[in-house]
Amino acid sequence: MVGNDIIDIELAKSQSNWTRARYLDKLFTKEEQEYIITATNPSIMVWALWSMKEAAYKLYTQLHPSRFYNPKSFNCKLQQPHQVIYKDFHCYVNTQITSDYILSEARLDNCDMNSMVIEFQTQASQSHSQILHEKLIDVMSNRSHYDRTPLVLQKDSFGIPKIKYGQEEINISLSHHGRFGSYTFI
Amino acid sequence: MTKDDLIAKLKIIVAPYVQDEAAFKTLSEDTDFVSDLKINSANLVDIILDIEDEFDIRLENEDMEQMLDVKSAMAIVTAKLNG
Repeated sequence: MVGNDIIDIELAKSQSNWTRARYLDKLFTKEEQEYIITATNPSIMVWALWSMKEAAYKLYTQLHPSRFYNPKSFNCKLQQPHQVIYKDFHCYVNTQITSDYILSEARLDNCDMNSMVIEFQTQASQSHSQILHEKLIDVMSNRSHYDRTPLVLQKDSFGIPKIKYGQEEINISLSHHGRFGSYTFI
Repeated sequence: MTKDDLIAKLKIIVAPYVQDEAAFKTLSEDTDFVSDLKINSANLVDIILDIEDEFDIRLENEDMEQMLDVKSAMAIVTAKLNG
């Protein structure tokens, strides 16, 4: 199982004002707020922590199908290797930060990042989710062990996506924001 | 405050964060902030802060947990106002 989350840094700047009153306190623990305040680039730290929480939430809801909004309870630990802890659940998170995007991937084991990034060629954000689905299916179909039987993307009642391959179910994670999309499967 | 008044106030609050205008036009109690209105999850906290300011209430983490649709937002605001 795997959860990922990508953030378009430029879009995050215009979509969210994390300096507004009570914003940080709603989303981040005291420890995380300390990471933010002491960071060389607090804005990047805000979105790196946010993407870690989102990726961990996506992994958690694959294990425990559900849907809720409680980002503050997903505690980011920035000692190496980075981890996110929620109640008795914990996972490892890899985060990649470029000048354009921040990408986090959460896994139950400590391993390398698997997520691929695409840059959308069209501004029409309504089409981005579809483009990302098609790209994922295209890439998976080209793996030799997935030939012939069609790969079908399905979402359960909680909105958690999976790929159905005959009787088999493959865990995946998809994320898109602004100019960027990311997909991963194991 | 009537149900309709509350929906009308919530509609004004969520408007700046909506990414799907068609779903916004037909907003009802059953509208989901994320799957229908395509509101970015980082903006849900803005909606929560705006609700706190508008109704002069404070929402705890547990209140926020189910704040994913209009119906839940209405229930939480009503409970807080009557609390």
